[in-house]
Amino acid sequence: MIRKLGFYPGCVMSAEQYAYEMSIREVLPDLGVELVDLENTSCCGAPLRSVNLLMQMYLSARNIAVCEEKGLDMFVPCALGHLSLVETKNRLNNSKELREKIVKKLKENEGLEYRGDLEIYHTVDLLHDVIGVERIKEKVSNPVKWKIACHYGCHTIRYTEAGRPDAAEHPSKMEEIIKAIGGETWNYSEKLNCCGAPLMVTHKEAALTKTGEKLKAVKDRGFDALAIVCPYGGRLLDGKQEKAGSTIGEKLDVPVFYLTQLVGLAVGRNPDRLGLNLNLSPVDRLI
Amino acid sequence: MGLTDLFNMSKPEGDKQKELIRQLAVLGVKNPSLCFQCAKCTSGCEAMKLLELQPHSVMASVKTGFLDEMMNSDVIWACVGCFKCKERCPQEMSPVDVMFILKNWYVMSGGSLPGDYQNLLQGILSTGYIQEPVEVLDKDNKGWSREKLGLPKRGHPKNINGFMSALSQLAAEKL
Repeated sequence: MIRKLGFYPGCVMSAEQYAYEMSIREVLPDLGVELVDLENTSCCGAPLRSVNLLMQMYLSARNIAVCEEKGLDMFVPCALGHLSLVETKNRLNNSKELREKIVKKLKENEGLEYRGDLEIYHTVDLLHDVIGVERIKEKVSNPVKWKIACHYGCHTIRYTEAGRPDAAEHPSKMEEIIKAIGGETWNYSEKLNCCGAPLMVTHKEAALTKTGEKLKAVKDRGFDALAIVCPYGGRLLDGKQEKAGSTIGEKLDVPVFYLTQLVGLAVGRNPDRLGLNLNLSPVDRLI
Repeated sequence: MGLTDLFNMSKPEGDKQKELIRQLAVLGVKNPSLCFQCAKCTSGCEAMKLLELQPHSVMASVKTGFLDEMMNSDVIWACVGCFKCKERCPQEMSPVDVMFILKNWYVMSGGSLPGDYQNLLQGILSTGYIQEPVEVLDKDNKGWSREKLGLPKRGHPKNINGFMSALSQLAAEKL
């Protein structure tokens, strides 16, 4: 099975969270997914929801149109981006007025044709539903035998009405993947808590406090590491542990991995190609 | 102003309220008047403990006509946008979408953008993205760019003038 998908990395991954992008590019072809780079992409608009919802939807719709030009379904590994694109697709399907306005602007200004009838996958549903846990399991040669907490990120699971990769209140697909690659995992009370990342724009201290509280919970619950699937979250959870710790008066040293890095390690890909040297949290303690 | 005050002081339904209801409908969101103040949104709100955001109070203010007050209040900018309130509301309301619209109105009325929003907006308008690819440092302080890591150049709007023109037209339009 070879599934060809348009790869849309969004802003944060393509600008700094290279470990996520590297591990995606390294792991997915081995699991039967061919990624096609898109040339005409931009921000998905999610960071502009508070500023202007029409701009947000225009930006999401234009990236959908860019992928549709290639006749491919889409892979959006960023949780914010995935929600923004899926939500915009729904809203343009449900409101004729909105659809006409955006479609006309896309055509007139950028010559883009919007149809909005493609599938849009995130890392969690791509690995779990499309590739499948069994297929991943078959490929495992080097099981990761750690206790791993899962963090889905708000936008991976909410809101249900938009159609999300996993259930809003009791998501379990990441856990199934962790078990398939040899890890141990369990639910913890703070699993659905926000990492604070969106608050970095307006309330930095509060954002870092939320990051700190989340990481402290992971540590206190006896996990060895945290698995994530959101580059916006990775920027704080992996990259800002020292600052997050100092806002809550704790020393934090939780190894944080992108789920695709863990899958890559388990299926025996070269660790150098998984971007593990770029994780700023102490991942080398485990590897 | 406490909740009790708001209930006693409601303003008559005005044009702004009608406009809010219209815009929410465009987004597929129900009329906030159906909110019965159970405060389930506030009990799960990610910005409640640290920043004292109470989505049910925002809904009460909106229902009772205090739209100008809410639109110009700092408190709506504390919303994380986690969508828990929308997910959990037993009346299928969406405080988070109400706050997005109020923030949009504040910006449209000429209000200055708080925090780093100006930078994000500027980035998108000039390059298409909120940030440009940077050289990141690993734990040994060695720098890594996309190129050094063997990652391909990222896509960007080919027709940047058309792209910018579409966004500036939309900035002046109503939802």
